[in-house]
Amino acid sequence: MIYAEHLRKEFKKTIKDPGLKGSFKALFKPKKEIVVAAKDVSFHVPEGEILGFIGPNGAGKSTVIKMLTGILTPTSGECRINGKIPTNDRKKYVREIGAVFGQRTQLWWDLPLQETYNVLKEIYEVDDESFKKRMAFLSEVLELDKFIRSPVRTLSLGQRMRADIAASMLHSPKVLFLDEPTIGLDVVVKDNIRQAIMKLNKEEKTTVILTTHDISDIELLCDRIVMIDKGKNVYDGSLHELRENFGQTRELVFETVDPKALTEEKFRKGLTLDESDLEIKKENNSFRVRFNSKKLPVGEMLSYTLSLTKVKDISVKDADVEEIIRSLYRQGVTADE
Amino acid sequence: MRRIWKIYRLLAAQNLKRIMEYRADFLTGAVSFLIDQAVGIAFIFIIFTQIPQLSGFTFPQILFIYGFSQIPKGLDHLLTDNLWCVGYFIVRKGDFDKYLIRPINPLFHVIAETFQVDAVGELIVGFGLLIYASPDAGLHITVWTVLLSVIAVPFAALIYTSLKIMTSALAFWMKSSGFIIQMVYGMNEFSKYPTTIYSLPVRIFVTYIIPFAFTGYYLSQYILTGNDPWFNIGGVIVISSVLFVISIFIWNKGISAYESAGA
Repeated sequence: MIYAEHLRKEFKKTIKDPGLKGSFKALFKPKKEIVVAAKDVSFHVPEGEILGFIGPNGAGKSTVIKMLTGILTPTSGECRINGKIPTNDRKKYVREIGAVFGQRTQLWWDLPLQETYNVLKEIYEVDDESFKKRMAFLSEVLELDKFIRSPVRTLSLGQRMRADIAASMLHSPKVLFLDEPTIGLDVVVKDNIRQAIMKLNKEEKTTVILTTHDISDIELLCDRIVMIDKGKNVYDGSLHELRENFGQTRELVFETVDPKALTEEKFRKGLTLDESDLEIKKENNSFRVRFNSKKLPVGEMLSYTLSLTKVKDISVKDADVEEIIRSLYRQGVTADE
Repeated sequence: MRRIWKIYRLLAAQNLKRIMEYRADFLTGAVSFLIDQAVGIAFIFIIFTQIPQLSGFTFPQILFIYGFSQIPKGLDHLLTDNLWCVGYFIVRKGDFDKYLIRPINPLFHVIAETFQVDAVGELIVGFGLLIYASPDAGLHITVWTVLLSVIAVPFAALIYTSLKIMTSALAFWMKSSGFIIQMVYGMNEFSKYPTTIYSLPVRIFVTYIIPFAFTGYYLSQYILTGNDPWFNIGGVIVISSVLFVISIFIWNKGISAYESAGA
């Protein structure tokens, strides 16, 4: 369905020295620098899948999404969606996709929401009956009724986002690109939006590419994740695999009775773990220890701790996905520098 | 074609609704355009209190040229005003994204989105002056001169539009090209007066480089004198078509250079 092959996008940037003087200098003698927003990103998405496309800020996610939607022309590499190259077949291609950029609305700022949908209906040539059905479905799932008559500029962030998502789904697209659709939203609205995405995916086999910083979006929605960092693929696989491969990290939390006698160094000394496999944080009398349970089994860690000090309270937790991703982001960064 | 017309009507209607919502803004705009026009006409009146003729043209003839030049200008202003916004901020802020993910031509979409009612001022002044000046301007009225002049008007407007498309498209590379549009557009001032009052380099410039002379002076020449239809009318049609083709080429190149904006 979606093929992205070695996508690369370079931007030209003028370097300015600080201050007004610098601006003048740049005006007459511009120093150009090439910034690579995406170096080499490849992935495939089969029909009907929800793909979580993640990465730290500035990794190039939005750039890749914009290439896939045909907004940006790739510097090199190719994407093909449904057999079409976005920038070549623009008019035909965009009929089959819907896109939401969470940071930016595509609605008509001054128009009541309903009018926006009426205009989109004509633009996408949706016939009356499907439009009616679609509106009913969307206003039910996304609860649009309360504000469908208000001008877009008066909507709250949560309302506007729901409105934008409804707009992107109006013409029953085969592929939906959602760039941070839950950014800045409260739990209830997030849930609305997730419901809508899930329903659409189930009922119409809509393929979805979703970028987000919210791990629960990924846990609840995504079959698979692709992670990029610094413009390159870092991970591509299912969430399940991610947990299997990277989920050995455990977190030990305990409170010691005698915080003066037990320092971080003392705790570390008795263990033969590397820096990367062990992380200790001490706060007053409580310790938070992250360690690699493959290198040191949980039982051994527990008995070591208990032999070292008297504890008031102790617990061991599984790594959650957030934790795994955090460690992957960190690794990605170090691997590159 | 019918679909294009339908979408245009729909978008223009939305725009009118928006204008209704900001009445004060609309009224201010309309008034300022009328003042602008009044100053321009007053200027001609003042000149003609001092001299009987300007470069061989009588006062009514000059008014006729001035009035005629406002019609293509107003037409373009009415229909394609959103191109200014492309140059000033739509590209710079990355708001051009949305035009690229809709199944209609992005240029058409941008243009259809605004219907600039302020332009009615130019059209009223234009037609008003034509009616006022016609009896005394010594027009050469035949079926041909009238018919060809009317046909040429949309082409003259296309000169304005093409120049705006070209200059606004520069924003795709430069991020903001508003001042360039303004500079080029500002040269339309030359179209209101006979080119014969200018020095040769200026005349060549406004005829062949930034061909605004065709939108006013040459355009009105044919019906004023009945001379040179090939140059006066044919020139408008040929030059506007060539400019339009070039502008579309630049615009499309610009779209593939578009860089959007962060986030």
